[in-house]
Amino acid sequence: MAASNTPNKRIVVDPVTRIEGHLKIEVELENGKVKDAWSSGTMARGFEALLTGKDPRDAGYVTSRFCGVCFSVHQYASVMAQDMAFGAKVPNGGRLLRNLMMGAEYMYDHVIHFYQLTALDYLDLTAVLAYKGKDAALLGIKDKIAALVAAGDPHPLLPNYKYDGFCVKDPEIVLTAVKHYLEALKHQVLVKDAGAILGGRAPHYQSLVVGGATQYPNVESLRRFRSMINESISFIKNVYLADVLLLGTGPLLPLGTMDVGGGKGLGGGHNNYLAYGAFPNANGALTLKGGVLRGLGNLGKPEPVDFNKITESVKSSWYKDAPPVHPYKGEQVFDLERKDAYSFVKSPRYDGLSMEVGPLAQGLVHGFPLLMSLVGKGVKPGALARIAARCEQTVLVADAMNGWLDELEADMGKSGFAIQDTAHWEPPAAGQGYGAYDAPRGALVHFLVVKDKKIANYQAVVPSTWNASPRDEKGVRGQYEEALIGCPIPDPENPINIVRIIRSFDPCLACAIHIIHPRTNEVLKFVVE
Amino acid sequence: MTSFGKINRRDFMKFCAGTAALLGLSDAAVPRVAKALGAASKKPAVIWLSGQECTGCSISFINTLHPSVADIVLDTISLRYHEAIMASAGKVADKVLEDTVKEGGYVLVVEGSIPTADDRFCYVAGKPFKKIVEDAARNAAVILAVGSCATFGGIPRGTPSKGMGVDHFIKDKPIINLPQCPVHPEHVIGTIVYYLLYKKAPPMDSFKRPLLFHGNLIHENCERRGRFDAGQFLTDWNDPKQVDYCLYLKGCKGPFTYSDCAQRRWNNKLNWCVGCGAGCRGCAEPAFYTGMSPLYDKTKEIRGIKVETIGAVVTAVTAVGLAGHFIGQAATGRLGKGGPREGGER
Repeated sequence: MAASNTPNKRIVVDPVTRIEGHLKIEVELENGKVKDAWSSGTMARGFEALLTGKDPRDAGYVTSRFCGVCFSVHQYASVMAQDMAFGAKVPNGGRLLRNLMMGAEYMYDHVIHFYQLTALDYLDLTAVLAYKGKDAALLGIKDKIAALVAAGDPHPLLPNYKYDGFCVKDPEIVLTAVKHYLEALKHQVLVKDAGAILGGRAPHYQSLVVGGATQYPNVESLRRFRSMINESISFIKNVYLADVLLLGTGPLLPLGTMDVGGGKGLGGGHNNYLAYGAFPNANGALTLKGGVLRGLGNLGKPEPVDFNKITESVKSSWYKDAPPVHPYKGEQVFDLERKDAYSFVKSPRYDGLSMEVGPLAQGLVHGFPLLMSLVGKGVKPGALARIAARCEQTVLVADAMNGWLDELEADMGKSGFAIQDTAHWEPPAAGQGYGAYDAPRGALVHFLVVKDKKIANYQAVVPSTWNASPRDEKGVRGQYEEALIGCPIPDPENPINIVRIIRSFDPCLACAIHIIHPRTNEVLKFVVE
Repeated sequence: MTSFGKINRRDFMKFCAGTAALLGLSDAAVPRVAKALGAASKKPAVIWLSGQECTGCSISFINTLHPSVADIVLDTISLRYHEAIMASAGKVADKVLEDTVKEGGYVLVVEGSIPTADDRFCYVAGKPFKKIVEDAARNAAVILAVGSCATFGGIPRGTPSKGMGVDHFIKDKPIINLPQCPVHPEHVIGTIVYYLLYKKAPPMDSFKRPLLFHGNLIHENCERRGRFDAGQFLTDWNDPKQVDYCLYLKGCKGPFTYSDCAQRRWNNKLNWCVGCGAGCRGCAEPAFYTGMSPLYDKTKEIRGIKVETIGAVVTAVTAVGLAGHFIGQAATGRLGKGGPREGGER
């Protein structure tokens, strides 16, 4: 690895938990701050090779298994790529069913990120024992945690890193957050189950196929879906949004506004943002808008995305040396002996730039009102802003759900109502297409080439590849790496700020390393100092 | 402290009734379940390892209402190590794993396959995943392989990494295979409770799948079975008349797949793969995925199970324009008890 001879303190966090997949983060410290950083994914399967030669319709089902946390997001990108390659026209009913399924996915996914995956980084659980209030529900949770601790078995809530100054210590706030953590466990069941009404089952919907969807809707099941979605919306607004606002504008505000050097916020990246947008309306406009921001100058007024400007670099990855190329032309010839390579993740770049993708990117591109007001109040693009943008994005999607349901119910009564393009079910002799949208973790695109009715090439450029990418030809870091620079680590034994920053991206490593190969022996030398 | 700490009696009995139902036990068995669970002086330790996986099985595992996931994770089991759920990371997490393995006697759950092409396809905490599984298996009381990847290799088996299931590596420990992509939450919870009740693995088939969950073909209990027998096959998802027609022509693998999806359904019984009009993709079978591909084309035979031996079809088939893909074969009625019970290759 590049910095292996440095005298500065090195820290390795492996595994980074409460994320999807296997991620190792290594940083170099200088004067209590991160001076340099490397992110490496450590698990690989190899989906593209598996798909070559298969029936193109298999790709949705198979690529759904890139990830089971953001389940079906690849299935959706894949069926869009198939739509284009097959020449299928998705009927209005199919569009609405897809929007509703993916909307439910967003509403489940972002909420578990906040409560199950990241909240424990900001709460001092030991503070709850000091609760002196009389709220019966909170007392019940206090007693439960006390009993677990007394029994010497508080897993999986403890142990954790040592709680620091950014952990909320107010007993009532912490207890309420734990109560919401438990309620969020029920919420994630509720909203996945709602998704399954249209998707067949969740995680991993079954009913997304080329040309539309397979679940013919009926009034009774849609009524049930609507009631469950409305229960979820109530949780999202009254609990999730309320908690994010309470924490983000209260005890955690200093974390959001802090300057780690040169005006950069904790966890801030390169400040270049890419979003493809998502959720098409009847007129083709997107509910969540896409675009490109180079720097922070034009928030809410992005330039349009040009898919021809995407390239993938293999400069720091274990692939045969080649200049950056468009994914349609991408090759996967592995070279495990390459000097200076340290990742299986490639480095996608837009017009040569390292871009951040995800809810913060999409929110800055779109100009989310709440996010803009936080930025106006001095919250810097970084870890806390990502959490806030994710929440606001959830609310925007949740708010659109009832409208799509109304449209679907109105459409169902009309003659010619359709959910799938039957005429384009069989694979074409030849075709090519891509499917792009903003998945919950950010800008996602699948590229598909069909020859002789089979898959000739399949490439996916996924959100966590943009964010987790290693250095490119110019030595420019990926977003995780850049976001760690300047991060204060007062105690090298307690790198809680590292996991806070990394988790704010909601990493999905299984997605990022769908293209893969064994690491070099280098991994065996990685030790925790 | 009992394993149920602060849960009140009423909630506890509800929990026991829920778990008894998962096992297909009658109400009469509820007090026995309550006694077995309540008597435990210590929550059983569980280590959940993640290899070549998508975390879908974890996300499926937490999709349970009765019993609730909070009751399971905080009150029923001691979930020592689970990378997606546990608070700790890095060295702190690694030490929890190390200490629990030293302690021994835990339930080991494995999600995801183990690469056979090269150990370096899956590393965690600087160690090959294969070694982590081998080390954890040594002191485990029982091993649950969950999902298609950890049981039979699933999708990764067909990739360059050649992922294989746990029992490819571990030969000297009781292993229970709970396939499906993802695993059914009730299969996991039911199996853990069964083990706590009886201290042994449930009766299993030759692929180590519990017969309780994988004893019958999906096709035998499918709600669309009558349509199959009548030769009514869905060809157009937009035709309201065809909404509940058989999905065989859309590639349904229900005739070749041993699982209880048709009765158990998914997502707290709200729907399932056949119910949504997509069809079964055969994820409970050792042949999944490559042996089930093409997923959306009709399949005539998978390893000894032939579609024409499964249903009395013949006459009505022609009515929907099926030109002889299995006509002419003698339709000999439902698959008998002596029929093949092992639906796939390894």
